[in-house]
Amino acid sequence: MAIDLQYTPRQHALRAEARAWLEANVPREALPSYDTAEGFEAHRRWESKLHSGRWSMVTWPQEYGGRGLDLIEWLIFEEEYYRVDAPGRVNQNGVFLFGPTLMEYGTSEQKSRFLPRLASGADIWAQVWSEPQAGSDLAALRTTAIRDGDDYVINGHKIWSTRAVYADWGFGLFRTDGASERHRGLSYVVVPLRTPGVTVRGIPQLDGESGFAEIFFENARVPVANRIGDEGQGWSIAMATAGFERGLMLRSPARFQRTAQRLIELYRREAQQAAPIDPGVAATVTQCWMDAEAYALSTYMTASRLIAGGSIGAEASLNKIFWSELDLSMHRAALAILGARAELRGLGGGEGSALAKAADEATRWMDGFLFSLAGPIYAGANEIQRNIIAERVLGMPKG
Amino acid sequence: MDFTFDEEQRLAAQSLRDLLTDHCQGSDLRRAADARDLPSFETACATRRARLAELGLTGALVPAEQGGLGLGVVDFVLLAEEAGRAALPEPLIDVEGVAHPLLAALVWAAPGELGDRTLQETLVGSALVLSAAPAPGAAPVRSAAPGTTMLANAAFAQYFLLGRSDDELALYRASDISLTHRESVDPLRRLSEIALTETKPIALVTGSAAASAWQAARARSTVLNAAQLLGLGSRMLEIAVAYSLERKQFGKAIGSNQAVKHSLADVMVKLEFARPVVYAAAATLAPVRVAHAAVAAADAADRAARAAIQVHGAMGYSWEVDLQFYAKRAWALAGLNGGRSAQFLALHQSLLRGELEAQWA
Repeated sequence: MAIDLQYTPRQHALRAEARAWLEANVPREALPSYDTAEGFEAHRRWESKLHSGRWSMVTWPQEYGGRGLDLIEWLIFEEEYYRVDAPGRVNQNGVFLFGPTLMEYGTSEQKSRFLPRLASGADIWAQVWSEPQAGSDLAALRTTAIRDGDDYVINGHKIWSTRAVYADWGFGLFRTDGASERHRGLSYVVVPLRTPGVTVRGIPQLDGESGFAEIFFENARVPVANRIGDEGQGWSIAMATAGFERGLMLRSPARFQRTAQRLIELYRREAQQAAPIDPGVAATVTQCWMDAEAYALSTYMTASRLIAGGSIGAEASLNKIFWSELDLSMHRAALAILGARAELRGLGGGEGSALAKAADEATRWMDGFLFSLAGPIYAGANEIQRNIIAERVLGMPKG
Repeated sequence: MDFTFDEEQRLAAQSLRDLLTDHCQGSDLRRAADARDLPSFETACATRRARLAELGLTGALVPAEQGGLGLGVVDFVLLAEEAGRAALPEPLIDVEGVAHPLLAALVWAAPGELGDRTLQETLVGSALVLSAAPAPGAAPVRSAAPGTTMLANAAFAQYFLLGRSDDELALYRASDISLTHRESVDPLRRLSEIALTETKPIALVTGSAAASAWQAARARSTVLNAAQLLGLGSRMLEIAVAYSLERKQFGKAIGSNQAVKHSLADVMVKLEFARPVVYAAAATLAPVRVAHAAVAAADAADRAARAAIQVHGAMGYSWEVDLQFYAKRAWALAGLNGGRSAQFLALHQSLLRGELEAQWA
């Protein structure tokens, strides 16, 4: 088959089905932030609602509550999802990182124990990887999980764990061989976050909400049955997860195309006002549209290749750099257009005065901007991605 | 929805790459660039020209019922990328990607013995036909100077497709055209200024048929130039990486420094996100995609040239390194068909009119 950029009737039908369901079910009002106790539970209920329509994990096999969709069908679903500004996925890390890892490396007992509750939103999962001294250099991690009978006893300190403040479970990397160093002696273990010996402390982010947390382990005991894969195999399993994360599924193009669309709407509206817009900002808006489209086309190309039996490689790092910088650029442009309105904090609801509406609009852009600042940092800082591209793709020497 | 090239498309590109690996290396380009006059330039290129003629690409984009291969631009885009990678001096892309299908369109719209015979002569014989789209007055196209038309390789052509405006598509013999040699910054682009004489053309199409033929030719030319820019950028990246491994300072390869790595990684990001845009433009020929492809590829090639020269240090500013051939070709191609500026402006105007929607919205 040569390049064919038309959707098939089956793909159109899926789009129509997703659109109809989402339009009927997406909350009319934006949910409160999932980084608050109230918002977290509202988002958990949304996960459950999605699950009831079998839309919570569309790429998962049917036996685990998914639809067994391929990557192009997933892209179509995501396009519809962002088209209606549906709520953020509070279980993002569970659905896209832990779930696929478990399907590949878990035992059938582990799968039936964790996957259905993950799928329904009964359990929300957080990633428990980084440590104070192990960020970009993840292999420097020190938190130990030492075997004691049928348990692991965990001691140490994890940090920057997204959604961990309110999440139920964490999946993480621990040193099961206390004498080991670097990539060896690590195991992939799942830990309940409300269990004796585990203390979760929220860390307020730039927006003031505790979107991530640090986790202290003091003789916390988890059964050996909570280990995914073999003892000592943790690093390679974690890297497989990192591939999913950076590769394709962490940030679907639709998210950025939707932001680009909102930016264009903002720009077109403001361009009709008396105060002219800086031509540099105008050019940035056009560039953002181009880059959002380029990311979408690139993802369709990668998805087609994967469906045809290829594997994801360097594009994981290329993608990460590209979308994170695009997201930043779009939000910066929006703030530049908003000018003096940009700093206003709204109360939500957007009712009443023109100023209240302007404040709500500004808040959405500012919160998006603050979050976009994290993009070049999380899931492997962009500097690390550039090293990966240079060393593993271009063949340049390790420094 | 399937965004992958098929086996045949990839094999065609590979066979061109193999040919150019043998016959279009930096040393081959240098020999041509050093030629003092037209005959010695032709001598320097003779072997490669002969090999190219044997590739069987003649009439690639001409409809099968007119004696061509009936392929589309999407079948040709990887070949254009290869031509760019090698900074190919021959007008393979201009002829097979643009002029031949334009000639076929003219013959289709205005059947006549002379036009027909010319098509046969260019498809079967070795006659070379080139085209230069008129610079539309109102459109934001920046030509070299008002009323002038520049064309690379014009000195080698036997036929020309020209027009004074988009409403006119005319076929001329080379003997009826006056050419003035002009120097290009790219020593491998044999550039000529073309002047239409008062001679009657061999064949002529006017009105909307001419306009739509020129429009299609411009779209093909823009996409295929973008593909060449993509190839040029990729080649420059490879050259820069190779040099960064070879050149040692402070006792180690300069490519082990993060500043150098990150600069080249960023080039790769630019290239890899221009690539799907160029391919999608080739597959759809939608005006917005075509303009996007032109801008993205020009920017990526520009970034590649800039970074590659910087990595070469003082060598990068010297005539001695072959890198210059690829960089100069990229700079020349980036200005054609209105250049990056006109394409970007077209996109911006579409945006202002509310025409830029995500493909799925």
